Parts: sequence; structure tokens; C-alpha cells
Amino acid sequence: MNGEAILPYLIIIPLFGAFAMPIVSLAGKKAREAWAVIISALTLVVASAVFYHVWKTKEIIVYTLGAKTPFGQGVGFPIRIVWEVDLFGAIMVLTVAFVSLMAVLYSLGYMKHDTGLEKYYTLILILELGMLGIAITGDLFNFYVFLEIMSIASYALVAFRNDTWEGIEAGVKYMFVGSIAGSFILLGIALLYGQYGTLTMGYIAVKIAENPTVTAKVALALFIAGLLFKSGASPVHMWLADAHPAAPSSISAMLSGLVIKVGGIYAMARILFSIYSPMAHSIVLKAYLQPYINMSAIGWLIIIFASLTLIIGNAMAVIQTDMKRLLAYSSVGQIGYILLGLGIGLAAYGTQTGEVALAGAIYHTVNHAIMKALLFLVAGVVIHEVGTRNLNELSGLAKTMPKTTFAFLIGAAAIVGLPPLNGFASKWLIYESSAVFNPVLGAIAIIGTAFCTAAYVRVLYTFFGRPSERVANARDPETSMMLPMLLLVLAIVIMGLLPWQISDKVMIPTARMLEQFKFEYINALMSLAGGA
Amino acid sequence: MIPFQFITAFLMMAIGIYAFLYKRNLIKLILALNIIDSGIHLLLVSLGYRMELNEPPTAPIYTGYETLKSAMVGPLPQALVLTSIVIGVCVLALAMALTINAYRHYGTLDVRALRRLRG
Repeated sequence: MNGEAILPYLIIIPLFGAFAMPIVSLAGKKAREAWAVIISALTLVVASAVFYHVWKTKEIIVYTLGAKTPFGQGVGFPIRIVWEVDLFGAIMVLTVAFVSLMAVLYSLGYMKHDTGLEKYYTLILILELGMLGIAITGDLFNFYVFLEIMSIASYALVAFRNDTWEGIEAGVKYMFVGSIAGSFILLGIALLYGQYGTLTMGYIAVKIAENPTVTAKVALALFIAGLLFKSGASPVHMWLADAHPAAPSSISAMLSGLVIKVGGIYAMARILFSIYSPMAHSIVLKAYLQPYINMSAIGWLIIIFASLTLIIGNAMAVIQTDMKRLLAYSSVGQIGYILLGLGIGLAAYGTQTGEVALAGAIYHTVNHAIMKALLFLVAGVVIHEVGTRNLNELSGLAKTMPKTTFAFLIGAAAIVGLPPLNGFASKWLIYESSAVFNPVLGAIAIIGTAFCTAAYVRVLYTFFGRPSERVANARDPETSMMLPMLLLVLAIVIMGLLPWQISDKVMIPTARMLEQFKFEYINALMSLAGGA
Repeated sequence: MIPFQFITAFLMMAIGIYAFLYKRNLIKLILALNIIDSGIHLLLVSLGYRMELNEPPTAPIYTGYETLKSAMVGPLPQALVLTSIVIGVCVLALAMALTINAYRHYGTLDVRALRRLRG
């Protein structure tokens, strides 16, 4: 199977599906639902094929839009838009497609009572499309366009229930923060373009290595600031705690599970490791010199934000009485772990510790996407059946909704990091590497987990408590809502049974490819120059 | 010497950021976002501007470019700005829709009133 041939369908299928949705939904409710499921299932098939191809061949797919090669006639540098998929991108593509399919399946039952559903399904497919685009793009401006596609779709989805003040207020806050972050990123791109005259990520990396300037540093600062906003790191996490609970639960699952990772963590890793590669400097100049941009200081900067995020997010989760708000703060905390892994990967670049930390961060990104999606879907079921998400009114849910409670138990145990489940392996990699790198960071990570455990034990305590009359009539939901939860539980358990195999076979090679000791990301692009 | 377009562009961004931080009306905040975006667009467009032989550049239209005496402006920044303007219009439309809805629910456009979500 040819990776380049199937890659465009990753965008074509959801794009076509999204804009055909209003026409298809003229044929009725059933047609609309079937169309949404078929499109997202097809996307998952393509995503699996892309992932399998990249993982099997360990080669980076380079796809040029509208031509055979990114290089122009008689020009020695890339002038066309390229898509580049390495293993990290492929993993994100697979995760996005999987969780999106679950969210669409869940919406069939959950959104049944809402109106304007053709717009809802259009937006959900556009959201998926934007995230897939970010994961595969190799061009900075293309990245910005996909980022904005994703962001606009998610602002609209947060405010989808516009008859409630909650959705509107959260949507307004989310939109202002997201737009200002998007402006930062656009300014960074404009500065890099003005300095180096190109937008292709791999070629900018070469240019920066040859001639690092102050402009490149300012652009890096703007990128980091914008992407920390987008990923919901402390001290700018307030929008996340408002926006994620206010959205419909299927959307919360996508926002918390995917949007903050792809639009924040993945993009930051791509910019730090592929564009401002710490290695490129010495390879391009064929000699080891002290890099002009001190990447280990940048790593420490991210570590500081990560520690702050980790403590604040998890500690705030403990005191929440609103179930979805608790989950949203827990997302902030988990983003802290991922940022910690990323920061150590950059600060300890080139050592075993850095590699393990980076692998842990990537592993935790995938795991957290699955776990948090499951937890938000459970919260949605509770809202659907009981009509409240106030933890004080939900006591004794285990009696009337046993299957849902079981799903929550699995998700909570996984996110805390209990051994037989998937959260254990990824958190272990992060603890291990942070303790080796700097014991204080290891201690901070453990304290964060203690808070996290407290928060989830509190919810479970409520669920298993004495039944209140409020929950007496609650029942386990219908199949279309049960099925995605079951599939996510299965994914957690299966990934939990093979922790070290996944780590060695997938995550470590991914980290190695992202670190590009052999210049992989740039070579994959520049090696095409011979054919021009 | 820094070209005056760049100074204007950064001045516009500064004005936008000032308005974003100190204004309390939702519509003024949306205008602030647009001023910041316009500043970035001005920066991008002026990156493509170049003078050759003291002649101002012409539009990047390739038919009959052999007879041109002066240089052409860079076409890529213009394409970028066009795309970015379209994105800006999307955000603007969505922001206005949300503002209308916020006014319906809160009866005011003051952002300080949008504080019911807590915890």
C-alpha cells in the first residue's frame, strides 16, 4: 500500500462528508445519522492505513499538493505546500479518528432531543478534519489554516446549545482566548516568513540552523505563548474549565481528549523538535557549535509551566462539586504531565532520560485522549439520565446504573494510573524520567497524582454511597450510548495489558523519530530535491 | 532604517492589544481582535513590497510581464493575507452571533457581567 496515495483521503473524506451533510439530511434523520457514522468510520479506516504504513516502513510520508515534488522548476528550495507525516503525526491521526468515531456514535443517542442536528454533525466532522490536518501538515501557514478551522468549529460547538446562558458565556470566553492565541501564532508565522522567505517546516529548520536570528527567537516565543494558551496550561487555563463543561458531553470528550492535545501539545512538539531542532544546528554546519537558541532553557521554561499546571489543575479538581468541571480541571492536570514529559525531552535532549520522557509524553497523550473521552461520555450519560451533574445529588448511582459506574471506575483507575490499565505505563515513564532528571520534578509529579486520586476517589465515593431519591429512576442508557463507552473501556484494558510492548514498539520509535538525531524530518523533504 | 509600514503594523497591533486589555464592551473587544489581525495582515503584505530602480512595484499578474519595467510585489504574502482575511471574517461572524446571544441572555454587552460560571 502506498502511503502517499491514501494520505489525501484523510482530508477529502471528512471534508466531503461535512459539506454533504445538509443535503443528505434532507433525506431524513436516519440518513443523517448513518452518513455521519459512515464518514467517520471511513476516516478511521484511512487513518489506520496511514498509521500502519508509517509504523511498518518507519519512513516519513511526504505528499505535495498539486505536484510530484515540492520543488519548483529550477529552484533549489521547496515552494509548494507539503504534508509530512511521521510516527507522531500518524499516532495523533489514529487517535483523533478513533475518538471522533466514538463521539459521533455517542451523539446518536445523546443529542436525540436537540434541534439543528445537521449543523451539529457538519461541525463535528469539520472539527475532526481540522485536527487531522494539523497532524499531517508540513507547512506553517497550512498549519495555521487547519488550526483556525479546528478552533472555529470548536467555538461553535461549545456554544451549540444557545438557549442556555452557560454555553454562550463559555463560548464567548473560549473564542476571545482562542482568537488572541491564534493571532500570536499568525504573527510568529509572519515573522518567520519575513526573515527566511519560506513556509515549509523542514526548510525553515535548515534556514534557522544556518542563520539563527533574533526574529526566530521572537517567533518561537510567540509560538510557545500561543500554544500554551491553546493547550490550557496554567496560568491561562480558566477558559478550559469554563468551555469544556459547557459543551455537550460528546463535544467535551473531543475537546478535552483531542483538541487541546492536537492544537496544543502536538503543534508545540512539532515546532520545538522539527523547526527549532536542537540537532539541526550542528548537522547543517557540519561541526558542533554551541546553538544560538538555547533549547534546554526553553525546555526548563516548559517544565516550570508544566509543574504549575500539574499542581493547580489536579488540586482544583479536588474541590469541584460539578462533575464535568472536575473532569475539565483534571484535564488541565494531565496536560501538565504531558508538558512535563515534553519539557524534559527538550531539556535532557540527546540522553536516554530525554527519550524516555518524550516517549512517556506521547504515550500519555494517546492514553489521556481515550480515558478522558470515556469519563466525559460517562458524565454525559449521568446528565442524560439524572438531569444534574452536581456531585452532591448523585449519591448511590452504582445501584441504578451499574454498567455506567463500572465504565467510570475503569476510566478513573486508568487516569490515576493503577497498574493493569493503560494510564500506568505512560505515567510510569514520566515519573521515572522526571525522577532521574531532577528528583524535585519527580516529587511534584507524585503530588499531582495524589491530588488526582483524591478527586476521583471522591466521585467514586459518591457513586457508591447511599442512594438518593434523585437517582432512583435512573437506568443504564441505550445501546448507541453504551457501545462507545464499552469500546473505550476495551481500548483501555487492551492497551493496559500490553504496556511495555506498546512502549517499545511504538512510543520509543516515535520519540526517536521526533528527536530526529539523523535529521529525518528534514531529510524526508530535502531528499526529493534530486528529482526536481 | 525600519520601513514605515512595519512601524505602522506594530503600532496597529499595539492599539489592538491595548483595546483588548482595557475595553469592557464585547463589540469593542471584537474590533480589537480585528485591529490586531489587520496589523498582522499589513505586516505580511508589506513583506512582499520591493522597490527596484526607484520604480514602485506592480501587481503580480504574469501576462505580459516581459514588458514591465519595475518589479512585481511578492505574490505569496498576498495569498496568505487573502486566506487570513477569510478566516478573520469567519471569526468575526461567529463572534457577532455569540454577542447577540449573550445580549439576549444577559441584557448587556459588558464582559464583566459574563461571570456566572464559577468554581
